[in-house]
Amino acid sequence: MVRFRFPLLIALGLFVAGLALTSALKDRHYMLLSLVLLAVALLPLFIRLERRPLESRELVLLAVLSAVAAVSRIPFAALPSVKPVSAIVILSAYVFGAEAGFIIGAVAALVSNIYFGQGPWTPWQMFAWGMVGLTAGWLRNTWWMKKKGGMLAFGFVWGFLFGWIMNIWYLISLPDAFSWGLVAAAYASSFYLDLAHALSNVFFLAVLAGGWTKVLKRFRKKYGLLQE
Amino acid sequence: MSSGFRAMHPSVALLYYAGLLLFATLLFHPLFLATEIAGLTLLLVLQGQGRQLLRALPFFLLMAVSVAVLNPLFSHRGAHILFYFMDQPVTLEAVLYGLMMMAVLLTVFILFISYSYTVTTDKFMYLFAGAAPRTTLLTLMALRFVPLFQRRLRQITMIQRIRGVDAGKGSVRSRMRDGMTLLKVLLTWSLEEALQTADSMKARGYGVRKRSVYGIYRLDLQDKAILLLLAASGLIPLFFWMKGYGVLEIYPRMKPMHFGWADAAMYAGFCLFVLTPPALEGKEKWLWRSSRRSVYPSAIPRKTGTRFMSSHLR
Repeated sequence: MVRFRFPLLIALGLFVAGLALTSALKDRHYMLLSLVLLAVALLPLFIRLERRPLESRELVLLAVLSAVAAVSRIPFAALPSVKPVSAIVILSAYVFGAEAGFIIGAVAALVSNIYFGQGPWTPWQMFAWGMVGLTAGWLRNTWWMKKKGGMLAFGFVWGFLFGWIMNIWYLISLPDAFSWGLVAAAYASSFYLDLAHALSNVFFLAVLAGGWTKVLKRFRKKYGLLQE
Repeated sequence: MSSGFRAMHPSVALLYYAGLLLFATLLFHPLFLATEIAGLTLLLVLQGQGRQLLRALPFFLLMAVSVAVLNPLFSHRGAHILFYFMDQPVTLEAVLYGLMMMAVLLTVFILFISYSYTVTTDKFMYLFAGAAPRTTLLTLMALRFVPLFQRRLRQITMIQRIRGVDAGKGSVRSRMRDGMTLLKVLLTWSLEEALQTADSMKARGYGVRKRSVYGIYRLDLQDKAILLLLAASGLIPLFFWMKGYGVLEIYPRMKPMHFGWADAAMYAGFCLFVLTPPALEGKEKWLWRSSRRSVYPSAIPRKTGTRFMSSHLR
């Protein structure tokens, strides 16, 4: 069994992907296909995490940052879209790079949902927060990201993008009603929640940016973590 | 309490929930969806999770009903026009399709409640520890840090209050500043301490060789039998689905539902798959009840006045 684990997993994955494709093409039922595509989107960076040379210190660092991001969500549970997670993921990615940012975002989503309830939205959140970290890490060397205003703008934009990604998962359950009207209606109905998320991102980034990047950069230098 | 279906090997539970998710997204048919919802609800109630389900239900219903309402408002295909809403036809087909989608969403939601009760994260990670050891370790460490950090934050709050740093008092500005100080202390403390943990891991040889896997769950005879039963009964509906059964065609025109022999065979296989875990759970409940009856036919003589605790794992 142990020796055939990878071939078995790959075969199983292909089987499910085939079912999803058939279902999408034949019945125009896209739910399974969307889950398969999400898994495919999450896979490369997790495979990279498994394969790249990684110190145990770096692994523990990733775990701490994911856990801090997950914990930060708990005091704000009563406010629906105020999530400091995005801000913490952006800051961590800013210091430690794109791959680390993706992993921190995805793991934070997975772990915090153990307290908030897992659901079909979990992979979507993993993807969305992973992308927050990934893009923040890619753009960390641009001149505007180094300025505080640029980072705040980045957080604001991601507040909306996050909501838009999360809207997709229930839009795809209505393939026949899909029209620009429906998209507009869905996005208009989530506008205030997205705005709240965007504004809270700006707020948390503004408060955390200076102090946290300093602390994280110091740790990075002191222990030589994720230097690339 | 860990008994019945929850005490089985994680792979059994994972196969069950993966199969259910597959069926919920593939079999677009009211009968199958209703059976799945009923089976899952039965399992949850037998496991004593009915209250959990009730608590989450309003939120789920809100989401699912919004889908059911949105579909007829934006989809106008179909042959039977019920009425006009703001000059747009509302068709019977669109209403039915919306209701079916609502059922699919509800099934998936209930499935996840049952899943997170039965397959706890450590079980899920146990299954993937061999394939993805680093991700598993990372997730489990993060999982363990969450309650630790909450506790730590409480300690920091208490200590800093004596210094006058209090996030609960003062103007909004000073409270914010103090709150951020507390978080920064938490971050620094946790990072410093965690890196020590990492050094200690390294000193003990983490990463020197490929990670070995320690199995705490054993696949015993009953697990194997149930695994086989679930796999066999799960393949029946999949086979028929590929031949085109088990999907109700609503658009462009609703087809009349007919229930032939093939459908019956498919439904039987499906029922066997869905209802096996509730049956196991029910058997457990029944055994427990009858063991407490005084007339329980047992070879072991029962002393009156003492309580028996079964101590073996299952």
